[in-house]
Amino acid sequence: MAKLPLDGIRVLDSTYVFALPYTGGQLADLGAEVIKVEGPGRPDITRTGGLYGTFPDNITGEDWWNRPSTYNLLNRGKRSLTLDMATERGRDLFRELVSLSDVVMENFTPRVMRGWGLDYPNLKQIKPDIILVSNTGYGHGDGPYSGYPAQATTQEGTHGHCWVTGYQGGEPSKAGRSFVDFLSTWSAVFAIGAALRYRNRTGKGQWVDIGMYQAGVMFLSEYLMDAISNGREGGRMGNRHPHRAPQGCYPTQGDDQWVALSVADDDQWQALARLMGRDDLAEDGRFVDILSRQRNHDELDEIIGGWTRERDRYDLMHALQGAGIAAGPVFNSRDVHFDPHYKSRNFLERVEFPPERQMGDRIIMGRPYKFSNTPIRIRRPAPEFGEGNEHYLRGLLGLDADSYGALVQDAVVATVPTSGEPAPTPDPQEAVARGQIAAWDPDYRERLGLG
Amino acid sequence: MLDGVLSGVKVLDLTEDVAGSFCARLLGDYGADVLKLEPPGGAALRRMGPFHHDDPHPEKSLFFLLLNLNKKGATLNLETDTGKNILRRLAGYVDVIVESYRPGYLESLGLGHESLAADNPGLITTSITPFGQEGPYSQYQGGEIVEYAMSMVMSISGVQGREPLKHGGFQAQYEGGLFGAAATAMALFAQGNTGQGEHVDVSITECLASTMMATQTIYPFLGGVQARRRAEGSNFENPMPCKDGWIIVQAGGGATWEDIANFFEAPELLEPRFADRAQRARNGAEMDRVIIDAIKDREKWELFPKAAAARMLFGIVQTPMELVDCPQLESRGFYREVEHPVIGKIKVPAELFKLTETPYQLRLAAPTLGQHNREIYVEGLGYDAEQLVQLRQLGVV
Repeated sequence: MAKLPLDGIRVLDSTYVFALPYTGGQLADLGAEVIKVEGPGRPDITRTGGLYGTFPDNITGEDWWNRPSTYNLLNRGKRSLTLDMATERGRDLFRELVSLSDVVMENFTPRVMRGWGLDYPNLKQIKPDIILVSNTGYGHGDGPYSGYPAQATTQEGTHGHCWVTGYQGGEPSKAGRSFVDFLSTWSAVFAIGAALRYRNRTGKGQWVDIGMYQAGVMFLSEYLMDAISNGREGGRMGNRHPHRAPQGCYPTQGDDQWVALSVADDDQWQALARLMGRDDLAEDGRFVDILSRQRNHDELDEIIGGWTRERDRYDLMHALQGAGIAAGPVFNSRDVHFDPHYKSRNFLERVEFPPERQMGDRIIMGRPYKFSNTPIRIRRPAPEFGEGNEHYLRGLLGLDADSYGALVQDAVVATVPTSGEPAPTPDPQEAVARGQIAAWDPDYRERLGLG
Repeated sequence: MLDGVLSGVKVLDLTEDVAGSFCARLLGDYGADVLKLEPPGGAALRRMGPFHHDDPHPEKSLFFLLLNLNKKGATLNLETDTGKNILRRLAGYVDVIVESYRPGYLESLGLGHESLAADNPGLITTSITPFGQEGPYSQYQGGEIVEYAMSMVMSISGVQGREPLKHGGFQAQYEGGLFGAAATAMALFAQGNTGQGEHVDVSITECLASTMMATQTIYPFLGGVQARRRAEGSNFENPMPCKDGWIIVQAGGGATWEDIANFFEAPELLEPRFADRAQRARNGAEMDRVIIDAIKDREKWELFPKAAAARMLFGIVQTPMELVDCPQLESRGFYREVEHPVIGKIKVPAELFKLTETPYQLRLAAPTLGQHNREIYVEGLGYDAEQLVQLRQLGVV
């Protein structure tokens, strides 16, 4: 088997929810040994399903904590260790593991690791070249919000995303998908790759201090510059483009099916008019240049929407692209599983669970990049809660049977969470009726070839 | 001692767009030496607003400025034989090339990754494109709205009964740049160990799709298709208007439901119809109305710190002006001041995240067109001053 970039790198992943757990999953794909560390009474919230993921076929099962979809996507390829960090024994074991690790990741609020004596200065004492990655809502330090509780879906407003997102002339709108979490995910992958290289060259470690808020604001940099230099507040322009027209999202044949298109210049506009069979529009003064098309964008939307409405969204994409115009269908969570381009790139990977997990095979996303010389794949399903307890505590740290038994006895480690419960599983048909999900295919397994 | 985490890494930036430029800027921000090579007419980004004081001068594009901090710049015409030879020479000295041309374009010039890596096996070429290097749509035109559309993001953005909605700005392009920089850093670590490079193929559409983890998996775990939000308030899914703007609130965090009811001074929230998560999901529209009524005369800047003190998950909708004056960003050193030869002194968003052992440095403003031609071609590659003039006359630089 080809050597993977992170072969031999051990990562202690004491992180919860979405952002850094996803980083850990990405590092595991790249070959790292990633140990997910959770408190016996503090199972990751993604293990509970509900807003945080879907139970397979809505069956919570006896070990519900191992089953939800997002838990299994984010934590693929890892090992699992439970340790009660609120106890001195738990923290001592954690320190021993730090001394044997290359990278530590955590996303506690800033005061927690300090309070436990596990902040960077302390970890550095244990292992001088350790790379610590911290992700918090607002970043460490003495800023006014550093101690504020935070999570992505409420930060969307605070970091400015909602101000610039919304229908033209309408209210601010949410991304509704924990958007900023993933900026931390990839900031951490970036920082870890760079810090590992630096460690090899200098022998020095690093503390990577990521604040989600700051990352979110960075992604609106051109609005910030317009405010700094021109005093402009930006705002919401729906699906339109600041200097292209027309651009929009138009209905096509079928229920809730759409095509997005963007016309970059006058030549493309002429091509679009011809494609619509409307050579007259190519000459029409209302649409002759970018400024007039922007001014009369509402009329253009009517015309284009009238043309797309009776047509198939794939046919529209191919025809528009054939004429040199950027266009593509709006894909939903069903569509991507059947689209030939997604298929050809193997972006969605099939993960086989061992039969005793009673999960069947499932399809989850890999990663948005490929290496030409090194095939990167999901290597293993996400681990069952505490499956690595003995491997790490007895095997790696060498605890004897009595000491290990005492840890189990005192619930410092566990293989069943001591708190938490699965979220309710709404009946899919009722969820469709209530508008919580758009559609439900009871035969999805056959459609996906999952057997 | 190395002063940046990527000090010693040499990067050629061949990009004219947002995603590629941001990727190369991040490498430069964290210590790499980045040289941006533009066509003699200037990168397309120089024509993109906003402009400093609304003056559409090619050296005053603020978009170009912010995406090309910490880079040097030279011009080179890749469509001339001399230009190709110069690029081949430069490619022999660097660790990374960042490019965002349509897949196959550099190969058609004889400048593809394989050909350049033949002389420099450690070369990493990071290609950031709408749909990736291969696959049936690889030659298709992308762009912000198309990439959002095909990534699932738009299918859940906006409200039911209306068209899917893209996110504001060019955030998809920044995602492509950051995710691309992450893959590049991993390739650099591997290159340091093995000496071997990679062609790193980044698809912006897949970058966006990869963030849809709850959305994608609902299908292969249940057969469900995620919907857009309901237009009426539906269990915290929309920003809520208050006296001077909007707030966003969620249950959870360190606050109990009773804490939340007390914070809003809205005892109705303690009624059984809002008692648990399932009830609130069912009666979300009513719950939103109760909260909106409770905050209609209150101000976001009053509510924000109070909500934090109550350990609530709470946000406010901030405007760009508010973000420019933010004390938290100030305390984090997010903004720095840069001196640009044409624009003058200006504040710019600078630091993405903190590294304690190698603090962030804003070393260079964005290059003016061809600013470092002499340094690169005369001092670096050894052309003499006359030859540089000749290259200029031939349209190479």
